[in-house]
Amino acid sequence: MAVVNRSREIPPLRYVALGVFTVAASLFIIAPLAVVVLNSFNNVAYNVFPPEELSTRWYVNLFSQDVFYAAAGRSIVLAALSTGIALVIGIMAAYALVRYKLPAPDLIKASLLSPIVLPKIVLGVALFMFFVRIRMLDNYSSLLVTHVLVILPFVIAMVSASLANFDWTLQEAAMDLGAGPIRTFIRVILPQISLSVGISAVFAFITSFDQVETTIFMVRTGSNTLPVEMFLYLQKWQDPTIAALSTLLILFAIALVMLISLMLRGRRLPFLPQRPGEDTQ
Amino acid sequence: MTYAFAAPLITFFEYSFYRFRRGRLEQVFTLDTYSRFLFDSYYHVVIYDTLRMATIVTLLSLAIGYPLAYALYRINRPAIQRWLALLIFSPILVSVVVRSYGWIVLLSDQGPVNWLLLRFGVLAEPATLVFNLFGVVISLTHVFLPFVVFPIFSSLTRLDPALKEAAEDLGANWWTTFRRVTFPLSLPGVVAGAQIAFTLALGAFVTPAMLGGGRVLVLPLQVYNATTDINWPVAAVGGMALLVISMVAVAAFNRLLKYSEAR
Repeated sequence: MAVVNRSREIPPLRYVALGVFTVAASLFIIAPLAVVVLNSFNNVAYNVFPPEELSTRWYVNLFSQDVFYAAAGRSIVLAALSTGIALVIGIMAAYALVRYKLPAPDLIKASLLSPIVLPKIVLGVALFMFFVRIRMLDNYSSLLVTHVLVILPFVIAMVSASLANFDWTLQEAAMDLGAGPIRTFIRVILPQISLSVGISAVFAFITSFDQVETTIFMVRTGSNTLPVEMFLYLQKWQDPTIAALSTLLILFAIALVMLISLMLRGRRLPFLPQRPGEDTQ
Repeated sequence: MTYAFAAPLITFFEYSFYRFRRGRLEQVFTLDTYSRFLFDSYYHVVIYDTLRMATIVTLLSLAIGYPLAYALYRINRPAIQRWLALLIFSPILVSVVVRSYGWIVLLSDQGPVNWLLLRFGVLAEPATLVFNLFGVVISLTHVFLPFVVFPIFSSLTRLDPALKEAAEDLGANWWTTFRRVTFPLSLPGVVAGAQIAFTLALGAFVTPAMLGGGRVLVLPLQVYNATTDINWPVAAVGGMALLVISMVAVAAFNRLLKYSEAR
């Protein structure tokens, strides 16, 4: 920490510059979200700054549009279902990857994680063509499979990273003391990796909730998910109804940030690097 | 699991060898669609635009992301550091549709940015900031910023402080220390961030569709348009091109990563 103290004594013009830059960059990050909230109270149907008059008419308009309600409901159900499925498969896959010697582990790992680099639109169109071919397009399970496929790599990556740091003698101790494999998993292993599981669940839910490219071909008018509905609405209209809806979604995101920071309180971030010398891998 | 990915991609690959003529699909094996794609100057422009957009977005993300990651690393009050990290991270939680919409509002002719520029006399009349490449680039940079900041931040925190102290004790000033010690050692983070930004920018669909105004015709949009026009062979060939470009980019960045770590 000597470095930090020494640099404080020098009149640090470069730190002032860095501070100003950080504030500017923070503004850059916040601005598009802040302007959406502001625009949702705009009285007129076009984008104008500063707003001439404030009103809540777009919220009234939003609440009268059943199509958004239904889409939001569908999105939440879909995200919850696919998150649940992905967690079960993902934890099992991560466990197998970390604990067992599998044939060609690098190949398995690469194929499990490959969707991260696969362009989403390619995955979406490929799945669409595939489901058309096997005549499963108008089936809810096709949508569910798609979303599970998209979020599974994140779950596997996070859970296996946390399992890699797990002290396996604990598992042996539990088994020696007479606990069965399932009991050991639930009482000994799961509590240790709960933070990663929790974070990957939040991530998986958000990612599923935010799918446009992969979902847009699988849904029809009347069965759209919320982001697809918003995307298609914005292709036709630009009025602040979307701003009102977006404001609600931003509030939802803020609630999630609060949830995450509660989960992280007093705990070390799992994705922060270990200090040198304390590497366990 | 692997099957679930492989089967659709094989279907996709198969369609790329069919052709689309006079409004209907002909299921015969042919390289027609490929050769049209490779030799049509229209698709050359599409590919060039895609690569150019991804390159600009990557460079801009690094230019904003590096100082931000450095600031995050140097802040020595944990509370501020935590809030700044949360702030940088938070846009990920908001739908990309919402963020792109935010940029449309922000950059529109009567939006806040133009209002400020006019107000302070920078411009005489509103500039067209959106529904062109500029708007797409700014918005994508915003979307990818967290993916660039965190790898750089994590490689900075892995730095051994003793190295810096040694450089300073040997008489190097802060700029030399940064240029010769800190920056080279943080290169793996820079490359990792650039890799994520570049591959995500290649595959970006929502933002170019919303903010491009039809003027930014990148490969993902071309694939989407071809699919909605039921011209599946062209969509498949476009998608294959996108896939190949992404894979080449990932491989190139992996090589670069090995090289940067070896230093």
